[in-house]
Amino acid sequence: MNLDIRTEELERGTLLYIGGEIDAYTASQLREALLPLTEKKGANVVVDLSNVNYIDSTGLGIFIGALKSAESHESYLKLTGLNERVKRLFSITGLDEVMDIEEEEEAQ
Amino acid sequence: MSVQSNVEVHSEWGIVSARQAGRNLAKELGFGGVDQARITTAISELARNIYLYAEKGEIVLEGIEKKEAGGVHRGLRIVAKDQGPGIKSVREVMEDGYTTSGGLGAGLPGVKRLMDEFDIDSITGEGTVITVVKWLR
Amino acid sequence: MADSYRLMQEQYVKILKTYLEDKNEIGLYQAQQFSKKVLENQISPEEVVSLHIEALEQFYPDLPQGAWDSFDFLIEIMMGYGMAYREHQILRDKQKELESEINVAANMQQTFLPDEVPDVEELDIGVISVPASKMSGDYYHFVKDNNGCVGVAIADIIGKGVPAALCMSMIKYGMDSLPEQRLQPGALLENLNRVVEQNVASNMFITMMYGSYDPRVHHFYYSGAGHEPGFFYNRAEDTFEELYAKGLVLGLNRDTQFREYHKKIEPGDFIVLLSDGVTECRTAEGFIEREELTRLIHQYSDLSAQEIVNNVFYQLEKLQGFSLRDDFSLIILRRKV
Repeated sequence: MNLDIRTEELERGTLLYIGGEIDAYTASQLREALLPLTEKKGANVVVDLSNVNYIDSTGLGIFIGALKSAESHESYLKLTGLNERVKRLFSITGLDEVMDIEEEEEAQ
Repeated sequence: MSVQSNVEVHSEWGIVSARQAGRNLAKELGFGGVDQARITTAISELARNIYLYAEKGEIVLEGIEKKEAGGVHRGLRIVAKDQGPGIKSVREVMEDGYTTSGGLGAGLPGVKRLMDEFDIDSITGEGTVITVVKWLR
Repeated sequence: MADSYRLMQEQYVKILKTYLEDKNEIGLYQAQQFSKKVLENQISPEEVVSLHIEALEQFYPDLPQGAWDSFDFLIEIMMGYGMAYREHQILRDKQKELESEINVAANMQQTFLPDEVPDVEELDIGVISVPASKMSGDYYHFVKDNNGCVGVAIADIIGKGVPAALCMSMIKYGMDSLPEQRLQPGALLENLNRVVEQNVASNMFITMMYGSYDPRVHHFYYSGAGHEPGFFYNRAEDTFEELYAKGLVLGLNRDTQFREYHKKIEPGDFIVLLSDGVTECRTAEGFIEREELTRLIHQYSDLSAQEIVNNVFYQLEKLQGFSLRDDFSLIILRRKV
C-alpha cells in the first residue's frame, strides 16, 4: 500500500498532505517526505492528516523522529486534521503535550 | 599435453573468442556437451567481468593433469587476469544474491558452482586474477 | 551425484521409450512423476536436456546433423536456468539457516519473560503473551518484594519482530539494573526512561505501564508512559472503567516525570493490563471497539484469571482469522474473594 503525499509551499515552510494508513509498510515514505523538511532552520512544517485514518506505532515513531529533528534544527512542526482515532493515539502516548496539534475546526 | 591459449579481452568479440577457444580445448580434452557448456559459460562470465570492470585483460586456457590413486586426471584450467581497479570486498561479491550485472545466479558464485576449483586474488588498484578448473569425470 | 545422474538416465530412457511406443497419457503421467524425481536429485535443467539428447542418440541415431547442433544451442540456453536454479537452492538453504537462527533467538527471548506468575495468596493472576511472528515486541515482568507487594510491568516496543526484540533485551536489563529496594511506579519509569533515552534511535520509543499491588492495604499504585489504557473492573457495580495513566512515552525526553495513580481494590475487583495488539485487533469490518473487549472479558469473568485471558485471546484470534497483526499481551490481576 502507498501513502498519498502532496506538498504545498507556504510563505515560510511547507504544508504536507498525507492520505492513507501510516504503518510499518508506509512509514518510510512518510519519513523520506517529512524529515528533510524539518532540517531547514526556521522552517514551518505543517502536516495535514485529514485523510489519514490509521497510524500504528511505527508511524508514530516517524513523528517523534521529526519532532526531535525539528527541535535540533530549530524548525517548527505542527499537525492538523487528526481524526478521533489518531487524536486518541497522540493523547495516550502523551505526545499531544509535547507536539503542536491543531484542534479540528468544526466550521468550514 | 600442454595446450595453452591466451585470448585478449577488450570487447565483446574477445568474449566470443575466449568462449570459442575454451570450447575447442574442452572438446579436445573429451568433455561432454553439458560440461562444454559449463566451461564456456564460466569463461563468458569471467570475460564479461574483465570487459565491464577492467576494460581489458586476458583469459588463459590450459589443459592440465594431476596424478591420483586412480590414475591420471585431466582437466581444463581457466585463468582470468586483469589490471583493473580490483575488487574492494571479495567476500561481498562471492555472496549469493550480490549482483551488479550478472542477474539471476550468475556472477562469481555462479562460476564457482559450475567449476570444480575456484581461486581468486584481488588487490585494489592493481587488478584481479581468478583461476578455475574443471576436471574430466 | 554422478551415480544419481546415471540412475536418472536409465529411467529416463525407459520411460521415454515406453511413451514413444504407446503415446498415451500414462506415459506423460510418468514424465510428470519423473520431473519430481529430477528435482529431488538436484539434476539441473541443462542436465535434463542432456538426458534427452543421450536417449535420442540411442533411439534415433540418424537424426539430421542440424537437429544435434540445435541441442547444443538449447543446452546453452538452459545454462542460465541452471545457474539460477543452483542459486535458488543455496538461497533456500540460507533461508532455513536464518529461520533456525531466529528460532534460537526466539527461545532466548522467552527467557526474558517470567516463567510463571508470582504466587500471592490474595491475588489470582493470569497472563498471556503471543507474538505476531516469532519474536515479540511486547514485554511483561512480575516482581514480588519483601513486603509482599507485587510489581507488574507491561511494555510495548515500537514495531515488532527482530528489531523490537533487540530493543526488548535493553528493557529487560534496564529493569534488572534498577535499585533493589522497591521503587514507586513513577520513579521506576523515570529511571527506565533515562536508560531508554540514551540507548534508542530517534524514531524508537517504548510505552509501558507499571503497577504495584500492596496486598496489605489492597491498593494498586500505577504509572504509565504512553501505554494503551487497561481496565479496572468494579465487581460491586459490575462495571468496567478505563485504567489510564497519562504520561509521555519512554525514550523521548530525558527529564520526563510520571504521575502516580492509585486504586482501591475490593474483593472480586480486577485489573486488566494489555498491549495495543489487543485493542488494535482488526477484523474485516474494522477495529474492534473497546466495549467489545470488555464484553468478552465479562463473558468469561466467572473463570480463573488465566482462563479469562486464554479465552479472550482465543476469541480475538478467531475474529482475525487466526493470524495476528501485532503482538498480543493480556494480563489480569484479580483480588480473590
